[in-house]
Amino acid sequence: MAILSLQNICFSYDKTPVLKDISYDFEKGKMYCIVGKSGAGKTTLLSLLSGLAVPTSGQILYDGKDISKVDKYTFRSKYIGVIFQSFNLITTYTAAENVVLSMDISGSKIKDKKARAVELLKNVGLDEDEANRRILKLSGGQQQRVAIARALSYDPDIILADEPTGNLDGETQNEIMEIFRDLADKGKCVILVSHSSDVADMCDERYELVKISNKKN
Amino acid sequence: MYILKNALRCISRSKGRNILIGIITLVIAVSACLGLSIRQAAESAKEETLAGMTVTATISFDRQSMMNDMDFSKGEQDGGFDRTEFADMMTSGSTLSLEEYKTYATAESVKDFYYTVSTSFNGTDDFEAVTTETSEEESGEDLQNNGEFPDFDADGDKMFGGGKMNNMMGMQFSSGDFTVIGYSSEVAMTEFQSGVATVSDGTVFDECTENYECIISEELAIFNSVDVGSTITLTNPDNEEESYELTIVGIYTSSQSNDATISMFSTSQDPANRIYMSANALQNIIDISSGETVEEESETGLTKTDESDEDETSSIAGTISATYLFEDAAAYERFEDEARALGLDDSYTVSSTDISAYESSLTPLNTLSTMAGWFLIVILIIGAIILIVLNIFNVRERKYQIGVLTAMGMKKSKVALQFIAEILIVTMIAVVLGACIGAVSSVPVTNALLENQVSSQESQFEQIENNFGRGEMPDMLDNAENGNNPMGGGMNFMEEFGNNAAEYITKVDSAMNLTVVIQMLGIGLLLTLIASAFSVLFVMRYDPLKILANRD
Repeated sequence: MAILSLQNICFSYDKTPVLKDISYDFEKGKMYCIVGKSGAGKTTLLSLLSGLAVPTSGQILYDGKDISKVDKYTFRSKYIGVIFQSFNLITTYTAAENVVLSMDISGSKIKDKKARAVELLKNVGLDEDEANRRILKLSGGQQQRVAIARALSYDPDIILADEPTGNLDGETQNEIMEIFRDLADKGKCVILVSHSSDVADMCDERYELVKISNKKN
Repeated sequence: MYILKNALRCISRSKGRNILIGIITLVIAVSACLGLSIRQAAESAKEETLAGMTVTATISFDRQSMMNDMDFSKGEQDGGFDRTEFADMMTSGSTLSLEEYKTYATAESVKDFYYTVSTSFNGTDDFEAVTTETSEEESGEDLQNNGEFPDFDADGDKMFGGGKMNNMMGMQFSSGDFTVIGYSSEVAMTEFQSGVATVSDGTVFDECTENYECIISEELAIFNSVDVGSTITLTNPDNEEESYELTIVGIYTSSQSNDATISMFSTSQDPANRIYMSANALQNIIDISSGETVEEESETGLTKTDESDEDETSSIAGTISATYLFEDAAAYERFEDEARALGLDDSYTVSSTDISAYESSLTPLNTLSTMAGWFLIVILIIGAIILIVLNIFNVRERKYQIGVLTAMGMKKSKVALQFIAEILIVTMIAVVLGACIGAVSSVPVTNALLENQVSSQESQFEQIENNFGRGEMPDMLDNAENGNNPMGGGMNFMEEFGNNAAEYITKVDSAMNLTVVIQMLGIGLLLTLIASAFSVLFVMRYDPLKILANRD
């Protein structure tokens, strides 16, 4: 059964149609890649999937339930982990504090959240020293790892990542992709948004978005 | 809980911004604390003064009111003010009897009641008044012939502590050599209460006695070579044959100066020529003189020699000065209504010099309190505006953080709560610090401001005095300030120069108290609410997607 299902999704931005009649199912244990050229609506689709935007028409079902009927804050803080293209970390916090904050928001009952955060950061390749550094003192790749650790902190079923390898060198890109692969293998539904065919090739399934104007042509 | 933790973390991570907000709030808090403290000091001073003050009041005839109420139509026909009718009205209704005074004393608000009876007697060859003049005969008799009593009081009703002394009041009160004052209570003997006068030989008469016992001044005793146990004879100034024998039971000394200005009018005005006795005994003499209690003469030792041809004009007239004591100012306020209910006519007024003096003493403090109130309002308005602006900048600066937090699933209400907590923590720390600084500085600052206010008030008063050509206050005022109240009826000579020479409250001992602390906390909360209200508005209208999309 699909953990996340798109059913005839349409979305318009200022009366300009961006997405039209999209239907697709995402399952647990698989890694998906949504590909498409710039302006095809990749980030818009990711916003819809993460509950940050509401479709103009159609439904998005999470585990069979319409997410418009679920509290969007609860959905974002518990059921789905989002890794933004620009990471969207709180820069005045340390890496560990960002992860702990995420656990706090989700209402996690873990007693020693700091230890759990350090462990999660270690899993994505950051040592304790790096875990206690402020975000601005970390490199792009390290920030990406913090964002992944944060998304995993409350153990969501779905991981969404927008251009997760966009600014990374080849070696780091491979390391990050290995993390995602590992998550998919552990039963998570990993959905990546990328314009890179390399990333798409590493995924189990790809879903190509086409610009609406191109479709008309 | 994590909201508070986050708030604290955000405060510690943005030290510069929060220190700036803290300093501004601190300045507001110190200013507000000073303003509140000054107001509180004024309130406390009022309460303390009132609490420590026994309010006394007297009932006096309102002559002006009666003149205003007179029917002028008849007088106008005759060509003006009808003086005969006025004199009749004054004679018939201007004085209250002792019974009437006692009736009003039954009012619930009255805590205590005492009165003095004052009259004038002549001496005999064996017992003469102390005088500085060579011709003793002239001193009293010239004035006596004129039928005038020396009147230092423009109102004509204060010389004997609220009694009616002016001949316009219809009194037949001739001036003799001695002033004899009868006291109903030792409380009324203010000179002895205050220590201005002390009995140096013998003892004071019993306040309730009806025996003709008296105490005289040391000067008078030396002048006439009399001692405790001696008997003196006083005569009716209008009828030399009517005499009374008094036994001296005590001799007193007084630090009150004998002012030449006073004694030049009449020897009876010389403090040395005052004879004190119990009000009961003196009232007895007056009653006998007016023929009311002739039948008791044998029992009281009356030696009245001429009773057959006595008429009203030659009998001894006494002036009663009644003083009512009240627990507090509120009781005094109630008294007038109660007295009216007991039959006090509208032509009489109830007044208290204590209340007037109390109100005058608070003038600089009240002015300062009002100024502090306005200062407080201005400070709070300016402070609130500054904090609002700073917080709007703060929220806009942290727009991205708000977007991230809401994108992570933190509810907007919780984000707003975190912002409120941050402002509250910073504000409260500043308010507590401000209250501490204010507590330390409020008393000296209040006293310094009060001193300025008092000196400004005094300069203003002096300027007015100079404008009227009164460069210096007469010595008599000094006497009055020393507590030398000749009649002990709640009034003093100070009144004769107006009420401007009030003793102002020039110092406060404490300005900060729990009320100010609570008010400070209230101000802190108010500023937080005002400042955070705008933060909340901004937080609530932000859309995380737009914030993050714009950043991307």
